[in-house]
Amino acid sequence: MKKKILFALFALFPVSGAGAADRNSLAGYNDLYKNGSYQAALEGYKEITSKEPYDPYAFYNAGNAYFRLNKPGPAILCYCKAFRLDPRDPDIRANLDFALKRTGQTLVPEGMPRALHYVYYFLSDLELKAAITLFWWLGCLLLSVYALKTDLRGKLKRALTASGLLFAGTLLWFIARSSSPFNGAAVITAEGSARLLSGPGESFKAYATLPEARLVKILDDTDDNYYEVGIPREGIKGWVQKTAAEKI
Amino acid sequence: MATNLSSIRPIRPAYALLALLFLAAGTASAALSISAETDKKSVEINDSLYLTVTVLGDSASVPEPELPRMDNFNVYSSGRSQNISIVNGRINTSVAFTYILSPRFLGKQKIPSIPVFNGKEKYATQEIEIEVVKSAAQASRQQGAPGRRAAGRTRAADGGPAAMRPEDALYLTAETDKKTAYPNEQVNLTIRFYTAVPLTSNPQYLPPQFKNLLAEDLPPVRNGETVIKGARYAYSEIKTALFGLEEGPAAVGPASVIAQVHAESEMDPFDPGFFQKFFSGAGQGETRQVKSNSAALKILPLPEGAPASFRGAVGNFTLSAGLSPREAKTGEALNLSVTVTGTGNLKTLTAPKPPEMPDFKVYDTMSSLDISKKNDIIGGKKVFTTILIPRTEGRRTIPQIKFSFFDPQAGAYRELTAGPFEITVKKGDAEGKTFSFAHGSQAEGITPLSSDIRYVSDRARPPLAGRLAGEVSALPLWLNFFPAAAVLLSLWLARLKDFRLKNPLLFRFRRARGKARAELAAAGGELKNGRPGEAASILYDSLLSYLSDKSGCRVGGLTIKRALSLFREKFPDIGEHSLDEIRDLWEKLEGLHFSPAAATPETARDLMEKYEALLDLLEKDLKER
Repeated sequence: MKKKILFALFALFPVSGAGAADRNSLAGYNDLYKNGSYQAALEGYKEITSKEPYDPYAFYNAGNAYFRLNKPGPAILCYCKAFRLDPRDPDIRANLDFALKRTGQTLVPEGMPRALHYVYYFLSDLELKAAITLFWWLGCLLLSVYALKTDLRGKLKRALTASGLLFAGTLLWFIARSSSPFNGAAVITAEGSARLLSGPGESFKAYATLPEARLVKILDDTDDNYYEVGIPREGIKGWVQKTAAEKI
Repeated sequence: MATNLSSIRPIRPAYALLALLFLAAGTASAALSISAETDKKSVEINDSLYLTVTVLGDSASVPEPELPRMDNFNVYSSGRSQNISIVNGRINTSVAFTYILSPRFLGKQKIPSIPVFNGKEKYATQEIEIEVVKSAAQASRQQGAPGRRAAGRTRAADGGPAAMRPEDALYLTAETDKKTAYPNEQVNLTIRFYTAVPLTSNPQYLPPQFKNLLAEDLPPVRNGETVIKGARYAYSEIKTALFGLEEGPAAVGPASVIAQVHAESEMDPFDPGFFQKFFSGAGQGETRQVKSNSAALKILPLPEGAPASFRGAVGNFTLSAGLSPREAKTGEALNLSVTVTGTGNLKTLTAPKPPEMPDFKVYDTMSSLDISKKNDIIGGKKVFTTILIPRTEGRRTIPQIKFSFFDPQAGAYRELTAGPFEITVKKGDAEGKTFSFAHGSQAEGITPLSSDIRYVSDRARPPLAGRLAGEVSALPLWLNFFPAAAVLLSLWLARLKDFRLKNPLLFRFRRARGKARAELAAAGGELKNGRPGEAASILYDSLLSYLSDKSGCRVGGLTIKRALSLFREKFPDIGEHSLDEIRDLWEKLEGLHFSPAAATPETARDLMEKYEALLDLLEKDLKER
């Protein structure tokens, strides 16, 4: 039965594995990394991420290569992308945490229990979206049957309640995740630092510098050349060039 | 200055682990300081002094100082010694670079500021002033011992430098003590500058270029006298240790000396300090440059049969190792020190391969190096320190450490071993404990989780859950309106069903015409198949059913009279014509129903048309109550 379900799932999503990285290619890129050819390995990892945007390990490997190339900004950007795709993976968590600490930031906010942080990020953003969709369909299906089959109402009542609660729970979880530092955020990828301007243009005063690898919240991205960003910890906001920061 | 790692104070293991966090940072951002000192402030012109440049840093390795050009001294590297200490979580590295300086001019001479660059900032020493004085022998001779000078002149006259060809009076030779060597085997190069004439200026030594060779100075400069072909020469000798890099030809290019020669000899070349003397004398002379011969070497391939632990070491070494402490808790750091002592190129010596230790987490290896050049042989000591963290508790063994080298004297490989080491590991505190670790000038609390990033992943496919989630999330949003529409439809159907259950007569009334039409079609089918009797029978049943649905009376209890009565009662506006039509059709159909043999296709067709017309008529007359 389990096999049938899995088969059905694969039949439903025939393209799921189509873009998966070729195992031999990956082994080749990992060999390059092992031998210290980080730039060459990085090119390979980037090729995988372009083909397989849902592959957290490709982003993780790219982050490692960037880290070895002493580029903390792009490294943290890749780790963040990997973390958003698979927040339960211990390697991804460890390297993101390590890289953030190296740049004076933390994965688990100060004062927040680690267990709560783990639960908060137990599901990825995509998994949360999928769960909401799934519970929505399930709830609607059950409600339809409940409405039409009066004789089954007794049996369906619990399932309907459970599915409704799950839907509401995942929806609230998803809403709560909108305040995550990785949601609607960007990483400063400019080498060294980026200037925080008081307006979207070079004519405005630069009143702060943002160090490379700093996580910032994007408040507005409608300007062609500048992001309006907020730095919650310092309580300041301003504009940075779009070439100096990259969205997670 | 020279110390070794075994002299390091016992360290708190957790600090050692933390210290490793910063090893990868290298020297690029490490804090540095540099200082320089000499062993004397005053030196005779024919003597030399030691300059020690000490670089201190807070990382495992520090950069070498960049010695500036010093025209007033001849400079030779004498060695280095390194000391690493990890105390209270702070790494401190101290490397002392020693140089021998031979003065070239009399008077106050300055050793310029010596810089060191850590990749971002430059640090420099203070200038050092050195007083260069005449040699004691030289001074006494000037005060009243002209005989020596006279003797010198006599020797020169006897030896006949005046009769010598100019190229024979001043020349330079270069020779190696071996013509073949193995990679990393020491070969000594001796360069000798001979002169049979007095010099009036400083001979400037320009070292040779090397191909496929690494060079290491072997100071100090030796001076002496010799007789060659009946002529007496003073010579100055510079030695250099060479190490072949790889199998194949190697070469030593020509060395040069630039010297100024008096037209008339006023200085005694046989004076032990004659090389420095030209600085004390006045007057200009002829500048002459002499070059040495080139020398070729052949670097031989290492013989086959190297042990598995061989990593390129050539020379003669001893091995020792130590582990401290011998009792630890899981998660705490242990210090495994492996010391290689002996003669050979220690600079290029790589750490012995650590054995497999699945019970331990093995961190990067730090090395410290002390080089000595005693008796013109490069040697010393290199200490490799590895931090180990026990993973599991119990009695654990660190396997034997193997180190092998090729002994060029014996022409054979030798393998040395140290260990194994037994250690008792107790259960430690939970991981992730917060330690206070001071790094450089900024002290701040950090929470260590690992010393480095974790290794790359070899998983070629994203997790199934992630893939499915990605695909589901990629579905268009409008698809989610379908379940909502289905719910609305279901609710409407449920309400309809409920309404029907509550109002059955009304539903019969509304459905009567549709039902009758369907039965008319069925009767038409029977007629088409040549069964008019059956067609008439269907029409009869249909009429009764229709009248029953419209009147709300059960079919079983319905007669023509009752039906008409009910119609008049429920539908007062019904016309008499309609009632007559009902009666007429009922009677005709009833007749055929009970005598189907009398039914002909024509009569059946007539009745069908009549029934259809009646339905239209009644639908107009019978309005919903």
